[in-house]
Amino acid sequence: MIYSEFIMDYSKLKKFHGKIENAHRIEEGKNLSCGDEVTLYFLFDGDKISDVKFEGHGCAISQASTNAMIEQLIGKTKEEALEILKNVENMMFGRDFDDQLLGPITNFYDVKNYPMRVKCFLLPWKTLELALNGEEKKPSKE
Amino acid sequence: MHSTEWSDEAFCRIIQEFPVLNREVNGKRLVYLDNAASTLKSRTVISKMTDFYLNHYSNIHRAVHTLASEATSEYEMAREKVARFINAQSEEVVFISGTTMGINALVNSLVRSGMLREGDTVLISQVEHHANLVPWIRLSKFFGFKVEYIEADNTGTITIDSILTAKSRVNSPKVVSITGQSNVTGQVMPIEFIRETFKDAILIIDGAQLIPHKKIDVKALDVDFLVFSGHKMIAPTGIGALYGKSTLLERLEPFLYGGEMIDKVTFEDVTFNVLPYKFEAGTQDIGGAVALGYTIDYLESLGFENIQRCIEELSKYLLEELSKLDFVEIYGPRDETHQSLVSFNVDGVHPHDVSQVLDEDFGIATRSGHHCAQPLMSVLAKGSRIDFPNSTVRASVYFYNTKEDIDILVEGLKYVKRWFG
Repeated sequence: MIYSEFIMDYSKLKKFHGKIENAHRIEEGKNLSCGDEVTLYFLFDGDKISDVKFEGHGCAISQASTNAMIEQLIGKTKEEALEILKNVENMMFGRDFDDQLLGPITNFYDVKNYPMRVKCFLLPWKTLELALNGEEKKPSKE
Repeated sequence: MHSTEWSDEAFCRIIQEFPVLNREVNGKRLVYLDNAASTLKSRTVISKMTDFYLNHYSNIHRAVHTLASEATSEYEMAREKVARFINAQSEEVVFISGTTMGINALVNSLVRSGMLREGDTVLISQVEHHANLVPWIRLSKFFGFKVEYIEADNTGTITIDSILTAKSRVNSPKVVSITGQSNVTGQVMPIEFIRETFKDAILIIDGAQLIPHKKIDVKALDVDFLVFSGHKMIAPTGIGALYGKSTLLERLEPFLYGGEMIDKVTFEDVTFNVLPYKFEAGTQDIGGAVALGYTIDYLESLGFENIQRCIEELSKYLLEELSKLDFVEIYGPRDETHQSLVSFNVDGVHPHDVSQVLDEDFGIATRSGHHCAQPLMSVLAKGSRIDFPNSTVRASVYFYNTKEDIDILVEGLKYVKRWFG
């Protein structure tokens, strides 16, 4: 059963929902196969990710994944976040990964057995990848 | 308790015909309700196609040997069967890979022939599948024609009023291209009324959803072009047909150039073969076309009117039973024009989660997503009373489905609602 207690609980979390005014980076992600969209808002403190929030709709898997990802990201450096991302992808594609580093994210381990749902799980992570590899939003001149 | 249209004996024959219906999925009997995407395949059609490939196959038309003659005759017989099926002449039927290919070919050919020019208007509807939307939008950017829409109401329904409103806005579109039945709302379109309203337009019907369960007479409806896919009516994938009035096909420039479609070729110029061959360049899907012919034989052996009645009865039951669930929101007209499929949402549960649980716990195959009709999702969102997830669940029936299948779906949906609360 793909819907573990962890996934059900995390799919209903509300605390990371919303917008960050004056976010340093805003990134939109889309799952083309189902029309799901997520917008991630990032606040950085130097190299550290100090806050993340999200807006958007999605299935239980994508919502739980987004909440768990944000919980894991806050307080990490961008470099640490990229390392987590790499291990998340390794976990989904059946390669070796560091389960210490992933912590609660390993609750999604079984999703890899549902090829049609891997995209749901990866939606926030792919969006994170875009955010970390893109240019930081320049402070407005106004 | 299966559909009352089939006797027990007839129903047993149908089950034997589609062996996958005896398969278990996640420990449950398969309940296949994804027919609008593609139907199951039939034992009769597949074995006749296998026999054709193993014992009679060769390339068609040009060679003089026995196999070529047998294969050519089967291929041309298939064309005659398709022509009879829609009341056309053989030379008006072109084999194509499917509906998407057919519409892409038509748009290009109309432009190349000067039958659709800069400044002309093409009228389509807001409920079109991407196959009858994207080609028009994209080529309008290159060739300067305009694309206008018959608007859907907020249930996704095309009404007589909306057709008349489009008529008063656009007046005389050069082309009207519309689906015979929406793959999202299940609405069967008032083709007669559209023809009557736009007398001078070239009328193209996307028959992908309609043809599998409703008899279409292209002459009586005065349709100019009709395209459809075999795989949604138990034929193999990769084969479909394009019908065009011979007078129009004569004027139409081919989309695909190459072998067989030519009459005389010099280093400077080309003249084309006669209808329908000028539209069949290259080696065709010979086995697929032959199998489409066998498919029509099989459907006619069941009695196409029986299939039509069976789908009408199952559609009515599906709508009635889903309407009883107060946590289910249904899209589309919800009347007798609503056929063969129902799109819906379970309040508070994402369609992917609904479909996943239906499969895992009940062995039910449904489809979830935007059903290749993204713009329509924003229309449905406007009329929705729930937190609309920008996609829907779709359950669709074919003649081998039963009322029991629908009962299992209803039971599954109640479970989904309980599980996700």
